Amino acid sequence: MDVVRLDGVSKAFGAVRAVDGLSLSIRQGEVLGFLGTNGAGKTTTIKMLLGFFRPDSGRLTVWNGDPCEPATRRMIGYMPETAYYYPYLNVRELLAFYGGLCGMPKPLVRTRSDELVERVGLAGAGSRLLRTYSKGMLQRAGIAQALLHDPSLLILDEPFTGLDPLARIQLRDLILEQKKLGKTVFFSSHELSEAELICDRVAILKQGALVWSGTVHDVAGDGQQNLERIFLKMLGDVARKEAP
Amino acid sequence: MSVRVLQLKALAGLSVLELYRRKDLIVVFVLSAVILLPLALFSPFGLSGASRYVNELALLLVWLFSAVIGLGVSVRLFPPEFESRTIYPMLAKPVARGTVLAGKYLGALAASVSALAVFYLAFGLLVGLRQGVWFPMILLQAFVLHVGFMVVVTALGLTGSLFLTPSANLTVCGLLIVGMLFFGQRLPALAAAQPLPGKCALTVLHWIGPHMEFFDLRQRVVHDWPALGWGVCAAVLAYAAVYAAVCLALARCVFDKKRF
Repeated sequence: MDVVRLDGVSKAFGAVRAVDGLSLSIRQGEVLGFLGTNGAGKTTTIKMLLGFFRPDSGRLTVWNGDPCEPATRRMIGYMPETAYYYPYLNVRELLAFYGGLCGMPKPLVRTRSDELVERVGLAGAGSRLLRTYSKGMLQRAGIAQALLHDPSLLILDEPFTGLDPLARIQLRDLILEQKKLGKTVFFSSHELSEAELICDRVAILKQGALVWSGTVHDVAGDGQQNLERIFLKMLGDVARKEAP
Repeated sequence: MSVRVLQLKALAGLSVLELYRRKDLIVVFVLSAVILLPLALFSPFGLSGASRYVNELALLLVWLFSAVIGLGVSVRLFPPEFESRTIYPMLAKPVARGTVLAGKYLGALAASVSALAVFYLAFGLLVGLRQGVWFPMILLQAFVLHVGFMVVVTALGLTGSLFLTPSANLTVCGLLIVGMLFFGQRLPALAAAQPLPGKCALTVLHWIGPHMEFFDLRQRVVHDWPALGWGVCAAVLAYAAVYAAVCLALARCVFDKKRF
């Protein structure tokens, strides 16, 4: 079953076409890596999936529903790229706030918060205000808030940015754990090696259009190919110039 | 408890918690001390006129500080959410934009009214101690109508916070509120004395501006005039509710169309 479905979705901001006729679907229980250079349209696509704005044309559904409707978003957990949260709250208060927004009763929020604070490795810093957290710790708090209401679809925007190697491994394990639980994960990233390790399928976006989509098995099957080579090939000169 | 109520509680609670954590409450207590100081230090030796003068000064300060606090809280409701991008995880949750707006508004109102209650409590206690009159009915009515004033002030501040930076919003709303408080009643007379463009502008302001003078019972409190009929109070509060509802409806239109 398709959890997310985009059919010919386009979005322009003035003269700039951020997303151009994008068609893509994500099946239940799948981990999909959404790759592309800066400005390729990844974040715009994610914002449309979260119902922040509607596409100019095309059709976009999440669990066959309109993500602009709060009921559809009940099934989505989202972690933004830049993890800035309320600096005057501690992580438990932050989760209590988001739990309230999800309409979760207090005892349930407390139980879930305890589990998640422990799971993301913030138990020792549970009473510290978020303004004292490092970037990696804020990312962990971000993951905890995304998982709080036990969503069936996780949308993660550049989740590996700014994480140290240990935190990367923990996040990778957490994503794979969600997959085992039957959850669907959609994440955007520049981290090709991470995508190769955890994704079932990869979609590469260039100037708002889908230029390649395939399984990690497709990549691994060709002895000469790896995801980095495919990425560079698909993005052509633009990617070569940007590659270090 | 319904989902909507839980959401409103979470959003309102966040604004109140912010007031405490950002040490804004200390400002409230410092301002209360400023209000109380003239009352505590000035000894009118039984001169009722002098007592009234001091009470009037203290109430004027209560009005100015309450406007500062109401605006100070409400103009900051959205700009920090946009700047720090906390608006993204918030709107990604299963909450309607209208609920976000209402929750934020209720939080700002609760925070402002709690500060106002501290001011009136301090004023009432000092007047009681010095003059032996404990919380007369007119003071209660003055507080109730002052809450109506805060209902309008926070609605204006919240609406402006979707268009303007906090400093610009504070300036525009501050000028409107203080201007209407002191000159609102005289607008028709002022309009009549102006040439055509000015006359039109003042007439429009008279009809669409918030008539803050409706909520002002300072003279009645200071001169111990009899309390108003509760029907009049209810009508004034209804005006506040309608005015705030119009502001919030406008804010809702803007917020719904806002692209993040």
